[in-house]
Amino acid sequence: MKIALAQIVPKLGEVEANVETHLEILEKARKRKAELVCFPELGLTGYTLKDLVEEVALDPAADPRFRKVVAATRGLSAVVGFVEESPSDKGLFYNAAAFIADRRVLHVHRKVFLPTGGIFEEAKFFAQGREFRTFQAPFGRAGLLICRDFLQFGSSYVHYAAGADAIICISAAPGRGVAGGDAFETSRMWELMGEAVSYFSTAYVIYANRAGSEDGVTFAGGSFVYAPGGRLVARGASVDPDLVVCRIDMEEVREARKKWLFRRDEKPEAVWRSLERIVRAPED
Amino acid sequence: MPPRINGPFVEKVLVAFIRDELGRCGCRKALLGLSGGLDSAVCAALAARALGPRNVLGLIMPYGRAFAADVKDAAALARRLGIRHRTIDIAPQIDLYFAAHPTRSRVQRGNKMARERMAVLYDFSAREGGFVLGTSNKTELLIGYGTIYGDMACAINPMGDLYKTQVRDLAVHLGIPAAIRRKAPTAGLWPGQTDEGEIGLSYDELDLILHGLVEGRKSRRELIEAGHAAAAVDRVIGRVKGSGFKRTLPPIAKLSIRSVGHDFLYPYDRGR
Repeated sequence: MKIALAQIVPKLGEVEANVETHLEILEKARKRKAELVCFPELGLTGYTLKDLVEEVALDPAADPRFRKVVAATRGLSAVVGFVEESPSDKGLFYNAAAFIADRRVLHVHRKVFLPTGGIFEEAKFFAQGREFRTFQAPFGRAGLLICRDFLQFGSSYVHYAAGADAIICISAAPGRGVAGGDAFETSRMWELMGEAVSYFSTAYVIYANRAGSEDGVTFAGGSFVYAPGGRLVARGASVDPDLVVCRIDMEEVREARKKWLFRRDEKPEAVWRSLERIVRAPED
Repeated sequence: MPPRINGPFVEKVLVAFIRDELGRCGCRKALLGLSGGLDSAVCAALAARALGPRNVLGLIMPYGRAFAADVKDAAALARRLGIRHRTIDIAPQIDLYFAAHPTRSRVQRGNKMARERMAVLYDFSAREGGFVLGTSNKTELLIGYGTIYGDMACAINPMGDLYKTQVRDLAVHLGIPAAIRRKAPTAGLWPGQTDEGEIGLSYDELDLILHGLVEGRKSRRELIEAGHAAAAVDRVIGRVKGSGFKRTLPPIAKLSIRSVGHDFLYPYDRGR
């Protein structure tokens, strides 16, 4: 099947305008026969929101703007980044990703690891998500991550242990360091993780990052797809906007798992027992 | 109106702020532009109490003979507070400039004058070895009613978290003469200009809307439901949104792994 990575430049704080961008990209991707379109983290709002968080927050089940995006997914799937405020949790704002398939929201992931330090101040403005959970997507079992979630490698492990065929990370990763050729140095960090996770989880790793700049920070672009076993399938433009359309084959998951027995031999119960002991009584 | 302030308590906090910020740099002197209006009068009174009147220099910087009454009020205030003051006419350099580069825009002329006053203040900062005190209040900062790199430029600003209506309360407490307190507030960019005329709202209503937006975190709809005219609310929200650039340092394009203004972060008062 074909998938698309929408390396867009959201308009900061303007949900309506970003909804229109999402609708346009969905149509473009549909014309190119993509069955899955991944938009970046906070694609519906822009990233550097600060106190705008509460103004752009929405309930994905009821908000008419979000429903417009949902309605535009007839016959395909999309991963959409937004600020979530659910009616049962008023006043708490989550950096969230929704997986929508054929006009139904199948899953919402709330970002667990909120980077706070250096240029990042997410925990000042967002509530923290509490779990990683896979779900059945049309093409197989999938797990969602948002940006920094992916760099804390336990997150990918949880999806892998739950049997994910694809780990999808949407991102708004700024570029830092210019000693690395025609891309920001930090782009390599993401690819390194993508390559390693796809290799050792024998799953697809799909990474959609954004482009553009906000308040002096340039987002690095460089979205990518790694096939199980660490094979780079496609890579988006560095820094510039892009719509990456590439072909993936879920059979490759099966082929990789026949060849590399990591998944078969995995022992989540041993990991769990060890983790439980560490969480209850930190090792001395 | 925004909450009434406790004059003695606010005075105590701001006097300590001025004294501490300067003291950390081993400095006891401050200077500020005296317009003859309310904000600079309050700031001068605070500085006089923080540093001792003789350590405060008020610069009165009229453009020629315009605003002669304000010049008189400013000088009278300086004498009353016991602070030093000097009058410097900025007309020669302003006239020279606009003779070479004429404009019909009175806003442009006014902004140029505001920046000239800033340049004079900073020159005297070096001559005096003193800090330039800012006099922009919270109302002005929020709606961007000030000249960027003009009257908004300063080393420290004791006034920036007080709404105009609160500055009025503080002025009463500090004994600022009624002649200054009762004057129609003006940016003084041209004769006859008044803040309320230009903004199109009274300070009482403006501050009420701003206080609802900022401290109250009210939405546009809630403010209108609370009885404000939709046009007034929209005008205020528009001005706040449109002036964000005046309330922050210019963005620096981030390239490296640690950048000034982004993730090279130290407290202003580091090591002082």
